[in-house]
Amino acid sequence: MTDDTLDPLIHVPTRLKIVATLAALPDGDALSFTRLQDMIGLTPGNLIIHLRKLEEADYISSEKTGNGSASKTTVALTSHGRTALDAYTQALRDLLGGL
Amino acid sequence: MNQAPEPVSAGNGSYFDPQQAAALLDRTTLRARRQFEPWPPWLLVVRGLGALVVFGGIWLSVRGQHPYAYPTAWAIPGGVAFGTANTVATVAVAKRAMAGVSGRTKLRRADIAIVTVILIAVIVVMGVLAHNGVSDRIVYGLYPAAAPLIAGGLAWAGIMTARANRREFGTAVAVAVVGAVGLLAGPAGAWGVDAVGVCAVLLGNAAIGARRQRS
Repeated sequence: MTDDTLDPLIHVPTRLKIVATLAALPDGDALSFTRLQDMIGLTPGNLIIHLRKLEEADYISSEKTGNGSASKTTVALTSHGRTALDAYTQALRDLLGGL
Repeated sequence: MNQAPEPVSAGNGSYFDPQQAAALLDRTTLRARRQFEPWPPWLLVVRGLGALVVFGGIWLSVRGQHPYAYPTAWAIPGGVAFGTANTVATVAVAKRAMAGVSGRTKLRRADIAIVTVILIAVIVVMGVLAHNGVSDRIVYGLYPAAAPLIAGGLAWAGIMTARANRREFGTAVAVAVVGAVGLLAGPAGAWGVDAVGVCAVLLGNAAIGARRQRS
């Protein structure tokens, strides 16, 4: 196996946790930035950096509502992101001999 | 595993072993599913055993009555206490699990309000039946044993259809079916059917939920 088999965007511990967490939600549901931050255990700055990379690849989508202190950002896994995670999971299984 | 694979670059200068990745993926998925679960298996087991105790207790109090009269005095406060505790616990756990979640599947206050109004309406109709001299077999037997399960179950099934929640839809329909089957067992037997049926439905739901979290 080579590096090519594992999606380099997902194959980073923090981004894997983000994608796996969002994938646990039913298709179409979104999660607030603050709850995601609580679940992943990252600082807001670090989380934003990883979310931006995933969003650039169209693995996640984000939506901001409201203004100022009342603003709320939600994040959701896209169908493209779900497909990418499925492919990554399969690649991991293949790499680890089906376990 | 057949053979230890080569470490794969994590793309940031460090290495993220595929085995570590697989373990992290499993751990994160399991944890997230547990945290997002609005009806965790433990709560369903508690609710199932609670239903067994409450409905079973009522059945024990009426099974020897000939002719059928009504359940013992503790049945009404016991049933109301169970129903209230059940609702409060369900809403509290679901609210915590769904915090920060938005979308079609999220439970809304209106959903709880609809079911609450329907259950209150069931009680009001029971009062109307009693006031109009309908027999004790129906007013204190068949009706209170079946109507809440049928009306509440069907209402919940409709809500769960809107929320795209197949598992809860199935549970709600099963509860309504238990209520309907109880009608065939007579005023005393209906309580026994409720006890066993609702308990079995909730334990089955808990088993499915626990299995789904691990799959």
